[in-house]
Amino acid sequence: MLNPQRSLSELPKMSAASQVERAVLEEEFNWLLKEEVHAVLKQLQDVLKEASRRFSMPTPGLESQLKQENFILGSSTMDQVKGVLTLQGEALTQADINLKVAKSSQVLHFQFREDKMWKLQQDARNHVNQALWLLGSRDESYHFKTGAEVNKLMDAVMLQLTRARNRLTTPASMTLPELATSGLMKMFTPPMPGDVMVNFYINLSKLCLTVYQLHVLPPNTTKNYRPAGSSVLHNPGAMFELNNNRFEVSHVHKVECVVPWLNDTLVFFTISLQLCQQLKDKISVFSSFWNYRPF
Amino acid sequence: MSGNNLVLPIVLWGRTAPTHCISSLLVMDNFSTIITGCHDGQICIWDMTPELEICPRAMLFGHTASITCLAKASACSDKQYIVSASENGEMCLWDVNDGRCIEFTKLACAHTGIQFYQFTIGTEKEGRLLCNGHYPEILVVDATSLEVLYYLVSKISPDWISSMSIIRSHRTQEDTVVAVSVTGILKVWIITSEVSKIQGCQSISFCTFTQSSLLVVCSKYWRVFDAVDYSLLCSVSSENDQAWTGGEFIAADRVIIWTEDGCSYIYKLPASEHYRSDVGKTKEGSIPPLVYSIADRLDKQLLICPPVTRFFFGRREPFHKLLIQGDSAGRLSLWSVPDNSPLQPLSTAAALQVSSTISLQESFDKLSPVSSGIIDQLSALPGQDVPIKVTASVYIPSQGRLVCGREDGSIILVPATQTAIVQLLQGEHMLRRGWPPHRTLRGHRNKVTCVLYPHQISPRYDQRSLVSGGVDFSVIVWDIFTGEMKHIFCVHGGEITQLIVPPENCSTRVQHCVCSVASDHSVGLLSLRERKCIMLASRHLFPIQVIKWRPADDYLVVGCSDGSVYVWQMDTGALDRCVMGITAIEILSACDELAPATVDALSHSAVNLKQAMTRRSLAALKNMATHKLQTLATNLLAVDNADKGNLPKYSHNALVVQAMKTNLTDPDMHVLFFDVEAVIIQLLTEEAQRPSPILVSPETLQKSQAGADKGGSFLANKIFKQVKETMKETIKDLLEYNLTMDTAKLFMSCLHAWGLNEKLDGICLERLGMLRPHCPISFGLISRGGHMSLMLPTFKESLLRQLSLATGLKLTLTDIVGKGTYGVSRAVTTQHLLSVISLANTLMGMTNATFVGEHMKKAPSYLAVFVAWQPLMITPSIVVLEVPPRPGGTPETPRRTLTAPPQPSNPALQAQIKQAATANTSTLPTVTTSPPAAFHNIHSVNEGC
Repeated sequence: MLNPQRSLSELPKMSAASQVERAVLEEEFNWLLKEEVHAVLKQLQDVLKEASRRFSMPTPGLESQLKQENFILGSSTMDQVKGVLTLQGEALTQADINLKVAKSSQVLHFQFREDKMWKLQQDARNHVNQALWLLGSRDESYHFKTGAEVNKLMDAVMLQLTRARNRLTTPASMTLPELATSGLMKMFTPPMPGDVMVNFYINLSKLCLTVYQLHVLPPNTTKNYRPAGSSVLHNPGAMFELNNNRFEVSHVHKVECVVPWLNDTLVFFTISLQLCQQLKDKISVFSSFWNYRPF
Repeated sequence: MSGNNLVLPIVLWGRTAPTHCISSLLVMDNFSTIITGCHDGQICIWDMTPELEICPRAMLFGHTASITCLAKASACSDKQYIVSASENGEMCLWDVNDGRCIEFTKLACAHTGIQFYQFTIGTEKEGRLLCNGHYPEILVVDATSLEVLYYLVSKISPDWISSMSIIRSHRTQEDTVVAVSVTGILKVWIITSEVSKIQGCQSISFCTFTQSSLLVVCSKYWRVFDAVDYSLLCSVSSENDQAWTGGEFIAADRVIIWTEDGCSYIYKLPASEHYRSDVGKTKEGSIPPLVYSIADRLDKQLLICPPVTRFFFGRREPFHKLLIQGDSAGRLSLWSVPDNSPLQPLSTAAALQVSSTISLQESFDKLSPVSSGIIDQLSALPGQDVPIKVTASVYIPSQGRLVCGREDGSIILVPATQTAIVQLLQGEHMLRRGWPPHRTLRGHRNKVTCVLYPHQISPRYDQRSLVSGGVDFSVIVWDIFTGEMKHIFCVHGGEITQLIVPPENCSTRVQHCVCSVASDHSVGLLSLRERKCIMLASRHLFPIQVIKWRPADDYLVVGCSDGSVYVWQMDTGALDRCVMGITAIEILSACDELAPATVDALSHSAVNLKQAMTRRSLAALKNMATHKLQTLATNLLAVDNADKGNLPKYSHNALVVQAMKTNLTDPDMHVLFFDVEAVIIQLLTEEAQRPSPILVSPETLQKSQAGADKGGSFLANKIFKQVKETMKETIKDLLEYNLTMDTAKLFMSCLHAWGLNEKLDGICLERLGMLRPHCPISFGLISRGGHMSLMLPTFKESLLRQLSLATGLKLTLTDIVGKGTYGVSRAVTTQHLLSVISLANTLMGMTNATFVGEHMKKAPSYLAVFVAWQPLMITPSIVVLEVPPRPGGTPETPRRTLTAPPQPSNPALQAQIKQAATANTSTLPTVTTSPPAAFHNIHSVNEGC
């Protein structure tokens, strides 16, 4: 019964199935509940533990255990922005940003204050841990009695996994004022000038750094002002209002770098989601068997 | 008000109780109501007597995902509000008394816990909701507007909060919030920050008895801390693999702790002075003695997920201390926790027996008569008690017919109002077998999972075609007029889950297709014209959640449950793209921009209903604006009868039968939505079409044309013209029924306050042809944004108990048939009064409008009928006087009083009005009851519901 396609095609005949066939089906279903479900749960736990390990936080005193990785963010086409980011687990512990402002040839240099770090993916880690906790509550000794029970567990696990994966695949879209007031702006030394904003986020397996250069719109400008909505990446020309000042984005620089372990976790999430769905599909093959009522 | 039109739901629940897998529960402060939320997004309200008997009263619909938490949202006892949050970020504020949705909102983040807190700002008291969930720190939300006000943040390791508690201290006059994050850091707001580290915390609670201790329950141990300096006072580890999930103080020196699988234990803490002085010395040493262990249910193997356990104690009379557990079978169990220890030595823990327990299904089973389903009389199986379940249904408003697919594979076509009359009302139809006349289509080998009538959605389809899908993997096309099976499609490798109609602007080939979705994650385009499958998009890895269209590009867009999007080319059947992440979201939203009407969420019936409701009311508004004027104009200006044939038939439906299920595995229950305005407009339109008896001689030809018009089909008209003989016409009269009048009859019979005035009841039965209901009818209330409250059939049990208590008499169900309608809540009463008065007013204005069947009409005089309608417009106000308000219900505010004085039991006034009513029935009317004035009064009452 490992191949759901084959068994699915047998279903229509089931209303005419003989007693023997029904007995075999029942036996097969019991095997699924007793053996196969636990095998899948075990596999899921292994995969997710591996994923969760990538997210582990630097705990005080044990910092040395978690290796620091440096990522150089840049692009081949432009050299206005260069960043060196240090990732320790899911936290950005150091950031070095070099910014070449267009109008002057002066290079601005910012880095994180000593006491600060920026958490990139707390939610994904928490969702994975919740999924692990759910899986852990049903260990080998637990005997599943109905398919509905397995489906319920899988639904709960899949919900957490989908959320976790979505955190990585769809970065939060923010409005420009939200970005300007976020804690990120206050993390740098020397402090960011008022006309520069930065944003870090994860998109799929890439660590992205966006730098916005702003200019203040004069109060009596003839340009019609329209505030930009929320977006992951704002385009030049986007406008917003902050503290009674109107700003317009003049330049956007986006640099990115692939983080190999993020790619791994994405793969882990995808594999576990597929495992869950396959288990649900296997259960559903029998659904008309348990719901069967002769007429 | 809901939408802007008056729509009243009536529910036929059927014998199977809806699935209610309890995910959260709450007991109101007065211990007369229990609220439970379930994994499918419904909320159930249970009534509880002081003797701890429980009875489900109503079910609230509106959330589209699992309910994660429930909390009270008002401090005062006269206003009983609760707030519910679901796992997809929806928050909703409900009135417990009538199930009205007061406010709702949707946030990007999901809450897992909400606590109500009353802020005192100067002399003003403002309700706040402290929420924690899948976001860092604590969110503070306004308890009336549900607006996010601010966050409680901490600088040190901000993370999700897994549990929190509010500490009120009389000593310092300062309230603090104590919370534990998922990483195990205990945080305290207002006084200090970050105190200690606890692993895997499940629950935190504050001792309200001594106000000096704090109980923290983790899955592996529970601990008691001092609430002032957070020193550890006591710690107990769990034994043999049990995972603690929560706990609470039940007295100054006792705690109750419960496990994931539903067992609970009561521990006695050491004498407080003693263990306080021992701080730091014996942390793990002495385990406090176990006083009680709570007896576990024996049949819990049927549970499909862990139960929810909570402890509540009453601060007012009755001083209950209740441990409540809700499980996946929709069962509530109550244990009354005693204040003193058992007498036997404490070496073995005494078992505490369950005080009261009931499941939703049990309460349905106890009902007599049983709760009826829409076609129960046609679904009885010989030798079996339970009727065949209806598994899929669709209502065809143009024909007034309901199509019901059943679990045995047959499909029944039945006139909807007539079958509803059989189920709800008493009458001569009870003697007929197999009534009403129906048609049975047989072809599916097992359960029918979906039915679709494409012509209803787009006129481009043949009006004969009906399409059905089943668990036998087949899609069958039927001719509903002949009952013939036209074609069987067998293209899918799984149960058919959904049938959809492609949008208008697709290619002509696709326009004659229906789109079928199956549980093997495949989508097919089945051409009804070519009788073949023109495209099969299969091998999606995950279940299909949404189907969207890009007709201009000839694309079919399939959204799967994992967030991936597949773009298929309809013409060639080639997979164009498969994307995820932001691109997927962009593709889906681009489809919405092009054609907002094609949105079709497949996952949840509640979503569909909600969309239908909101769309319907919008369409209704537009319709009202144009049609109302038209009707009025025609009524005033159309002098000659020739014009009346061109009168457009009012397109908005007076009655809509909507099938609903709370869970995919449930059988259908049916909700009849009566649109009062539409009923009135249809009645008036038909009145305008009918030749006036004074002006026109009863010519058979003309009469037949009017009759055919009601059928609404050209075909019927054509046939009808050929058959003019009087003989056949009388037969037709017997079988063919007037849809609008039947709807009005059903509606008025349900709404009338039976049993108040025997004389009036007699008039209603004999002269007006109304029918008495079998038992109190389950009504519903639609509130903002398509939120809906539906009364469970079991509501009459608690109503009966309540009325018996109030009157001191032993009442039976038949005694309270009419009172159920008016005893529910103010909002419902107002709606019902409005409906009765406006409908009675309309019917009074019509020529000879009675519901007495044509064939047995002894032609009561015009005047007699006219007179008979009158008291119906007055009686409702009497009802309001007679029915005692719900205990703990919304108090009468002066603005809200109908004709009722503040003292509802004023016998003198009551008698006066009664007299007036009877006087009206006996003497000839002086037609100055001025209906417009009555209308006006009621309108002013209706605000805010």
